[in-house]
This record gives sequence, C-alpha cells and structure tokens, in this order.
Amino acid sequence: MDVQLKKGFLELLVLASLKNQASYGYRIIQDVSEVLEISESTLYPILKRLEIQNYLVTYTEEYNSRLRRYYQITSQGLQKLKDCRHEFDIIKIIYDYILK
Amino acid sequence: MNKYEFLYKLNQSLENCSNTERQEIVHYYDELIQDAIDSGEFEQEFIEKLGSIDKITRTIKKDQDFVTNVKEKKDYQLQKVFSVTVKIIGYFIFFILAIVIGSIGISFLASGGGMMVFASIRIYDAIIKSLSVATIVMYAGSATIGVGLVLIGFWVFKWLFVQSKNQLEKLMEFIQSKIKKVGE
Repeated sequence: MDVQLKKGFLELLVLASLKNQASYGYRIIQDVSEVLEISESTLYPILKRLEIQNYLVTYTEEYNSRLRRYYQITSQGLQKLKDCRHEFDIIKIIYDYILK
Repeated sequence: MNKYEFLYKLNQSLENCSNTERQEIVHYYDELIQDAIDSGEFEQEFIEKLGSIDKITRTIKKDQDFVTNVKEKKDYQLQKVFSVTVKIIGYFIFFILAIVIGSIGISFLASGGGMMVFASIRIYDAIIKSLSVATIVMYAGSATIGVGLVLIGFWVFKWLFVQSKNQLEKLMEFIQSKIKKVGE
C-alpha cells in the first residue's frame, strides 16, 4: 500500500483500537496488526501525533511493579472516528472513479 | 543485543532531542520490550524485529516538524483568543470611561449654564436697582466663568462623540468579521 495512504489509515486504526478502552503500546500493535501491518517504530510518532492533536491523552499506571503508559481516546478522538463515516462515502467515490 | 544495550544505544542516538522527549522514547521502547517478554516473546528476537536504531531515530526526527507545526498553530489560536478577550475588555473599559467622561461633561454644562443664567438675572437686577459698578462687574465675571464652563462641557461632549464614533465603527467591523468567520 502507498506509504502516505497507509500512514493516514494507521492513525485512524490506532484511534479505533482505543475506542472501547484505554490501551498500551504492545497491545495497540497487536490489535492494529490484525488489520494492517504496523511496526513498533511507526507507532510512536503516530501516538505522538494523535496526542498533540488532542485525539488521545496518556496516563501511567503500575503493572507488574513497573510503570506502563496507557493511551485513552478523547471526545475529539471519538468525533474524528465518527467523521470517518462521512469520509468513507468520499473515499468510495474516489476509488470508484480510479478503478472505473 | 539485550534490552539494556539497546536502550543505552537508543538514548545515545537521541542526543539532539530534549531530555523529556528522550526519556519518553526510551521508556516507550523499554515498556514495549518488557511487554513482549511478558507475552512470551524472546528478548533478542524482539529487539531485532524493532529494526536498526538509526531507522528508529530517523522516523522520530521526520515527525518532529509535524509536532512543531501543530504546536505553533495552537499558539496562534491561543493568541487569537487572547486578542479577542483583550478587545472585549478594551470596549468594556471604554464604555465605562465614556459614562464617566459624559457625566463630567454634563456637570460642566449644567453648572456653567446655571451660572450664566443666574449671573445674567443678577446683572439685570443690579442695573434696574442701579447698584454699584463693582457689583455688576462681579456678576459679569461669574457669567463669563459660566460661559467658559459651558464651552468646556461642549468640548468634552464633542471629544466623546468623535471617540465613540471611531470606537463604534471599529466594534462594528470587528463584529462583522467575526460573523463572516462563523458563516464560513
């Protein structure tokens, strides 16, 4: 898949993986990888981007006597996912045209 | 390479990043490796899978421009909100000031006018009763002071009118631009 396109989708996939509950790095990679391959080194910048755009917030919690960073989706992040429904229609039109 | 070697080298390669960022990135990889081990993966294998440290650093650096851009945009938005607040406070202060100056103007007009009328009556009275010239001059003096006070009052009102007109025009422009933006 095209690198730029993949990057955009990965951002949304990471957000979608947080939709129901907060998650941590390793699990996000596992969840997202089921749909689209994501490497550990690509996840970090994506999380940073999402955080800076206020789509997610982070907090640390103790797990197995070490600190683990959790990522939690914000209302803005949820709204972003909702907007995808509208974007999907546009993407469909674009692809219909490309593949015509 | 084991976890500690990897994290040490990663930390070294991030010397251009800020301390907080460095700590954050190192912690991110530390946590990932630990979680992988806890899930039954082999430490060395997982670290190999992470790719070269060079590549990791490059990916982070590539994204730093984006982060800076977003931050600058946020600062810009904050500035806009700030300037709107300052404007609103400014108009509020001007409104209060206008009331205060307006009342001063009214008091000048009223006292000056009163003095003029009172002194004129007295002069007329003095002439009829043919009082001394000194008395008439004294009343004429107070009438002149009255005229002066009325003139000051007029000047204050004129100034206030010009200022209010300017401020109102600015306020209307400001409101219009806001409405336009909301419409967009």
